[in-house]
Amino acid sequence: MRRAVTLLSTLVLATTLLVAPGAFAPVQAQNPITKDGQNPMGAKPTADSVNEEFLFKNADKITGRVSIPDKKSQNLIQPQGREYQSFREGYLPWIGAAFILGMIGALGAFFLWRGRILTDDTQESGRKILRFNAFERFTHWMTAVCFIILSLSGLNYIFGKRLLMPLIGPEAFGALAQWAKYAHVYLAWPFMFGVTMMFVVWIKDNIPNRIDWAWIKAGGGFIGKKHPHAARFNAGQKGVFWMVAGFGAAMGVTGVMMLFPFALLDINGMQVMQVIHSLIGIVFIAGILAHIYIGTLGMKGAYDAMGSGKVDLAWARAHHDLWVEQEQAKTLSGPQIGGGRRHPAPAE
Amino acid sequence: MRAFIVAVIAAIGLGVAAMYALTANQKFAYQAFATTGARVSEPGANLVGEKWTGNPSTNDTSESAHGKATGEPSHPKRS
Repeated sequence: MRRAVTLLSTLVLATTLLVAPGAFAPVQAQNPITKDGQNPMGAKPTADSVNEEFLFKNADKITGRVSIPDKKSQNLIQPQGREYQSFREGYLPWIGAAFILGMIGALGAFFLWRGRILTDDTQESGRKILRFNAFERFTHWMTAVCFIILSLSGLNYIFGKRLLMPLIGPEAFGALAQWAKYAHVYLAWPFMFGVTMMFVVWIKDNIPNRIDWAWIKAGGGFIGKKHPHAARFNAGQKGVFWMVAGFGAAMGVTGVMMLFPFALLDINGMQVMQVIHSLIGIVFIAGILAHIYIGTLGMKGAYDAMGSGKVDLAWARAHHDLWVEQEQAKTLSGPQIGGGRRHPAPAE
Repeated sequence: MRAFIVAVIAAIGLGVAAMYALTANQKFAYQAFATTGARVSEPGANLVGEKWTGNPSTNDTSESAHGKATGEPSHPKRS
């Protein structure tokens, strides 16, 4: 009996080994692809099928077909979107950090090297001269306030989810980012208006001339203690003016293109606008950081010009001697330099 | 200081004016893309519902559970 069971088991095992390959043969015959994607004949069965590469040879993007009115939704694959995403999520944060932190570091190093640019106290006359009238200060501060909020909300687009969200949590960051977006979109308009007004008000004093070249060659007062000749605005201030005018215009145009999507540009165009907007914005912020530094911490007496509008006459003579001469020539009787007067005549 | 305060007020005022001007010309997607041939349903204020917390609960079967659209019902056009 025991021998019979052993024989039967051996027979069943042998039968299984013989029959099994035959049982799986039909499946292999229908799907003969091996692990490396080749079938036993050495050919790739999908070689002639429509693939991504083939479709991109016919058009720069792959589209489907939709029945809704928004035909843009039929886009399936658009390679430029990947390049844009790579820039937006990969390169842009590093470029932004390099420029802005680089500028902060450079200003810190300059402050340590040069210290605060001071006016010799013995030169202070105690008399004031009106440097910027109320309208000019209003224009400057309206643009400046908008710029600061636009900068912070703009940087939030780049760095917020990376730096702020881990600190305050996704809910708070979501609310903050939404309000920052509103501020960015709506305060862009008073900013553009302010830049336009500043351009109109100050362009006549910002035309480059030979005095500017001499000012640059002399180091602009940053090197050494003597201040080179300057009219109402020196070459550095003129540089800030043209930077604000040029970058302000570029930011306005590229921003409006994104505010009105598909009005003038397609998705590719808007991505290009976003790249330009972000890169110029970063350089713009770095430039304005230098402007804020020299207008506050970097130079004694400079803030008064935009704070109260009046600067010390000796400070004005040291930094803008040609402008003081012009003003004095305009008002020989001296209302412009009325020491102790509460309401000096406007400079313009 | 007065110029600064006036500047801040003006910036806010112009920003609010810009907000009204821009939103006056905007439509929701379900309004903009609805035609006599295509009906776009209104998703409401939040596509995932007002009670969505990020942790989907399978036990929540109430009417305002996550996944249910909120907001006023739209008036779909019929062709």
